[in-house]
Amino acid sequence: MSAARRVVVTGIGTVNASTAGGRDALAGALALARSAIGPVRSFDTAAMSSRLAAEVDEATLVSLVDRDAARRLSRICRLALGACLLAVRDADVAGGPGLGIVVGTELGDFTSSRDFAQGFLRRGPGGLSPMIFPNTVMNTMASIAAIAIGAKAPSVTVNQATLAGDLAVVRGARLIADGRAEAVVAGGVDELFHDVYERLAQMGALSPMRGRGPEGCRPFAADHNGPVLGEGATFLVLEEREAARARGARIMAEIAATAWGNVPAAPHTGRAGRVDPGSPVARLIRGRGATGVARCYGAGNGDPAVDDWERALLSRDLGAQDDLLPPVSLAPLFGQHGGLGALRVGAAALDAARGTAAVLVHGIARGGCRTAVVVEPAP
Amino acid sequence: MSRSGVRDGRPDVVVSGLGIVSPYGAGVKSFWSGLAAGACAIKPITVIDTEGFRSRIAAEIPAEVMSTLGSSRRRSRGDRIALAAAREALADAGLEGAARAEAALLIGAVGGGMLEGEEWYWEVARGRPSPRMRALRSILPFSHAETLGWRLGLTGPKETVVMACASGAASIALGADLVRAGVTPTALVGGVDALTHICFMGFNALKLLDPMPCRPFDRDRRGMSIGEAAAFLVIENAEHCRARGGRVHARLAGYGMTTDAHHVTAPHPEGEGMIHAMRQGLDDAGLAAADVGYVNAHGTGTPQNDRAEALALRRVFGEGGVLVSSTKSLVGHTMAAAGSVEAVATILALQHGLLPPTANLEQVDPEMPFDCLPGVARPAEMAAALSNSFGFGGQNVSLIFQRLAQGKPGEAQPQASRAHSREKSP
Repeated sequence: MSAARRVVVTGIGTVNASTAGGRDALAGALALARSAIGPVRSFDTAAMSSRLAAEVDEATLVSLVDRDAARRLSRICRLALGACLLAVRDADVAGGPGLGIVVGTELGDFTSSRDFAQGFLRRGPGGLSPMIFPNTVMNTMASIAAIAIGAKAPSVTVNQATLAGDLAVVRGARLIADGRAEAVVAGGVDELFHDVYERLAQMGALSPMRGRGPEGCRPFAADHNGPVLGEGATFLVLEEREAARARGARIMAEIAATAWGNVPAAPHTGRAGRVDPGSPVARLIRGRGATGVARCYGAGNGDPAVDDWERALLSRDLGAQDDLLPPVSLAPLFGQHGGLGALRVGAAALDAARGTAAVLVHGIARGGCRTAVVVEPAP
Repeated sequence: MSRSGVRDGRPDVVVSGLGIVSPYGAGVKSFWSGLAAGACAIKPITVIDTEGFRSRIAAEIPAEVMSTLGSSRRRSRGDRIALAAAREALADAGLEGAARAEAALLIGAVGGGMLEGEEWYWEVARGRPSPRMRALRSILPFSHAETLGWRLGLTGPKETVVMACASGAASIALGADLVRAGVTPTALVGGVDALTHICFMGFNALKLLDPMPCRPFDRDRRGMSIGEAAAFLVIENAEHCRARGGRVHARLAGYGMTTDAHHVTAPHPEGEGMIHAMRQGLDDAGLAAADVGYVNAHGTGTPQNDRAEALALRRVFGEGGVLVSSTKSLVGHTMAAAGSVEAVATILALQHGLLPPTANLEQVDPEMPFDCLPGVARPAEMAAALSNSFGFGGQNVSLIFQRLAQGKPGEAQPQASRAHSREKSP
């Protein structure tokens, strides 16, 4: 992070299967530590090998966006918009040329892509909806939210498996550090969608991964057997520290350092124990020293490949701090989705606000994307 | 560029490698030959069934070129062209070993491996069991970065940027910030998009496609023509490049990036976000508008875009204050790749002192008060050029490239890429 422009967290907005609201709502859900994972309600899973998910109630969503928006927007756009509005309200930050937005998503708006294609399959070219087509491009969530919150600085959408929200926070912090924005609403979003759920279950990508043991989200456990999907959106408001101070913002924590890199691995694979030849993330963690981390969140979500790989990487890079292993996973509470990384950073910011010295939010995804965010109490 | 390679306390960023697979073929040489000749590559589509659609043309990568880019059984069309373009850029930069391994990778992408995913979906939706479910693994845009990161052994920051038709330009801009900030000394940046049914059908549904090859800035323009491509640049800290003896194509002097926050599909009618992006880019580069001699316009050929871009150009450069062309009239609108395709075109134009033309431009729109270089490439030596990329969602990115002065001691020299260093400007 640039020494000249430091980045702080001044707001949180979250819409997930447990709760919806600002920093207090997230703190409450974390304190309660009740898993929102249960049988899928929004579609029939009787013929599938997986049947669990963490779903957002439609009633919750309806209460967050106005009736006009609810009529016009797809579900994932409403999730993103609702969380962005909550974050902006929590931070009490204004729109304008200094406000940017970064949205991370893994799957985007597949519902709209399916609906658009179905129109053609049913009625040919005449069945194609010009209203649906824009939603098939992944940056539509950012576009809708940018209009609503008046974000005229860069609006960036990043696409990544498992770590979409983490990457969005990292990129948002960089936009501020590099002077491209004064404040950035950064986070992630994904929705539960029947077709994707069904295919992932068929491919053995979800717990119980073709029937090995009981279905459930058990990161780092001996009997972990796959992730359980969730849905929702979590966004943080990041600001340049001096600007935040000047306007009297309620600063929660500082983003003290970020790093992200690639551990070369074949696409879609997680090679536990594979040598990371010294990526930026490894350098950052090793550079923190033996006692430089007080708490560690991880991206482990019950997928054995990700869990084992993350544990191996952290074990090597944290050195003597093996009391931090396994890292804390929030996937059992909220389910795996594109907003989870930002939710982890939000949890770290809440920890830092309560005085925890330095919190490492770590992530590794199949395919080798690796991230680290160090959150510290604001000076 | 200063002697030290640092300006205002920030490292200079230079472009040290170029690579492209375009509708003209594979490689920078074929791309430049096509642009310089003003050859329009927009033709009837072969990879998608176009029966019943208003527009049935696009700028495709020829089948004989695709057949040289690896097996379609193993990788998506997008992955194949991305890998070929990225490999050319790295080879052109001479980036090897540890210097290559530490490079960042930023890819602008939208369609991902959707073409292959659509084939699977079409069969399943029609009740025919398909053996192609494996294609779904590569359907998302980030699959390109996974493939390239793995095959090229890159360990630096890896990002997939989805900013609609500004994706390729945005990946270059965001990569430049990483180099400037010292996060990485080098980055492989660019964009890729292969034709997909959903893109072709979507723009048809929006009635944004011209049934004829597109005519940017023409009074009678009726829309755009889609295309497909992959284009990558190696960008680098100037000092790092000099220290390893790398070649330099141009300086990436600066960029601007803004959001309209106005409408999901339509640009701001007065081009406000576009104006701010261009002015931000000039400020970032430390240049005045008069220092820029050429603009490679977004220039899609849609009535709305060209009108708004003309207004914005007039506000920034003044009427007739700059030469403008749209290479989309030659290679189509290559979507997520467009920004990086046009960055390569802009750099080559600076290097060769030859500006690619706007094809199919017969009656210039009176609202476009610029010389739009109709039909024929024009020799013009200039120091700096700007490339505009705009996209759905009100995304605006302006990149500014500078030709490096020849013969100044201590500065990297402008050189043609290794792939086309013997080429004569036509």
